[in-house]
Amino acid sequence: MAGNSLLNSNKKRYPGKIILLGFFLFLILPGCSAPPLPMEVGQAESLSHNLWKARVPLYAPEEYKAYEADLRRIKDDLIKEKTRFIWFRDYQSVAARLQSLLKYGEGILTRVEGLKESKRTEITGQLTELESRIRDLDRLSQTINEGRLVRRSLMKAGMTVHEAGLFLGNGDFDQADSRLRTASGYIKETEDGLFPILNRYSNTTVIARWRQWANEAVAESRENGGIAIVVSKMDRSMTLYKAGKPYKRYGVGLGRNGFQDKLHGGDGATPEGRYRIIRKLDRSKYYKALLLNYPNDEDKREFIRLKKKGIIPGRASIGGLIEIHGSGKDGMTYGCVSLDNEDMDEVFRIAAPGTPVAIVGATNHKAMF
Amino acid sequence: MKGLIRCCAYGLVLMLIVTGCAKQPTQEMGDAQKAIGDAKAAGSEKYLPEDTKKAGDSLSAALDEIKTQDSKFALLRNYGKAKEMLAQVKAEAERVQTDTAAKKEEAKKNALAGQGAAKAAIDEARGLLERAPKGKGTKADIEAMKGDVKGLEDSLPELQQMIGKEDYLMAIDKATAIKEKADGVSGQIKAALEKVKAKKGGRK
Repeated sequence: MAGNSLLNSNKKRYPGKIILLGFFLFLILPGCSAPPLPMEVGQAESLSHNLWKARVPLYAPEEYKAYEADLRRIKDDLIKEKTRFIWFRDYQSVAARLQSLLKYGEGILTRVEGLKESKRTEITGQLTELESRIRDLDRLSQTINEGRLVRRSLMKAGMTVHEAGLFLGNGDFDQADSRLRTASGYIKETEDGLFPILNRYSNTTVIARWRQWANEAVAESRENGGIAIVVSKMDRSMTLYKAGKPYKRYGVGLGRNGFQDKLHGGDGATPEGRYRIIRKLDRSKYYKALLLNYPNDEDKREFIRLKKKGIIPGRASIGGLIEIHGSGKDGMTYGCVSLDNEDMDEVFRIAAPGTPVAIVGATNHKAMF
Repeated sequence: MKGLIRCCAYGLVLMLIVTGCAKQPTQEMGDAQKAIGDAKAAGSEKYLPEDTKKAGDSLSAALDEIKTQDSKFALLRNYGKAKEMLAQVKAEAERVQTDTAAKKEEAKKNALAGQGAAKAAIDEARGLLERAPKGKGTKADIEAMKGDVKGLEDSLPELQQMIGKEDYLMAIDKATAIKEKADGVSGQIKAALEKVKAKKGGRK
């Protein structure tokens, strides 16, 4: 009671001073007790930046939009809260919402990192597979001397895969993926050029016929204790048999289109069939040569049949002068089988007119594929 | 005493009038936004993505500050801090634009250099092929490598297209890929030539 009466008396005595003091207190006091902004604000902004850096807008656009929209709403509410009279400011609700948003954002980040990792693994796998296919096609194209049609697209495939590797290294999976799709197109182009030539090499009926020719030649060698020669195009090899047993194997070169069966003169293909050496030429344009009896009766019948069908041009001749000769195994012949000169010396010495020679595509269908 | 109260009241009224006149810094906002837009138009998102994002974030922060002031009682608004922030955004965006131009120029230079190096590598491979001995022993290899060189040549117009579209970063990668492949072909040709040389030497 005594205090009240003193205050009342003061009010009466110094009304102006009390108003002035109250006004200054009004201005000063709130400034001393402003509640700090929740630390989650900075964390949410930092997470927003991390999400952007992790390319979340690309991998999870909807979630990123939702995160950003929610952050925007919370920030707007924070602004409203900040403008309230200082004693009424309460950031607890905003902080709670930010904590929940942070959890959501971290979840997105984890999911996107996982997504990226699986994308990286997937693209790396695709890249490795395409590189392996390119290597196989490169080997195949070299084996069958197919440089004209397919090497161009094969090189483009190789280059595009190389680019994909660069993008993958930079973490740009979309560009890497796009490059791999382009590379697949070039690989398909290459395969389309190669497979018509190679199809015969996976045909079991054709392989069985080739195997029969090889077996017949070897059987003859076994029966008469003599020599037989089997040329396998797929292996690019020539095996010399003595008394039915493999004696020596040589690497060989084939015709320009050596992996195809010879149909007519000038086609650059190496004939397939059962032949015999008909003459030994110790002076040849290609070092030494063993002349074969191409075309044999079967070749002639086939030539007439295909000509009638129009598969062989009307003016084409059947060709001839197919030899096993020297001057190097790594070249392209006009259809002959070529050996290194040292090997030719050896074969020339052993072989004789009448020696059976089987020229086949392959004896094992798994040789190439 | 009355004089003192009157003095305070005048002071308060004057303060309220001065601060009450505060208006949104629309000019500064426009300038900052334009500066960011100009930087983006110059390609900053491609060449300096981090800096562009930061400038954008700073602009958002400045706009938030404006919103904060907007929400206050009209007579208590103060856009001083917002103006300062906007000035910083503008300066930052202008720096990004300048740096982008420099980066782009550097990328252009590198792309053109890469293109030159790729062309030179292809020319070297082609030249080696032309000089390669065309005997029976190398005919197949030469033909295969000619196909390889054709494939490399086919990629040059694509590279030129990228440079034409100012897609310099992609062009650099493409040029690198072409050069590496061309060097590979040259390496193979050189190895083949060495093999031929060695063979000839052996026979002598």
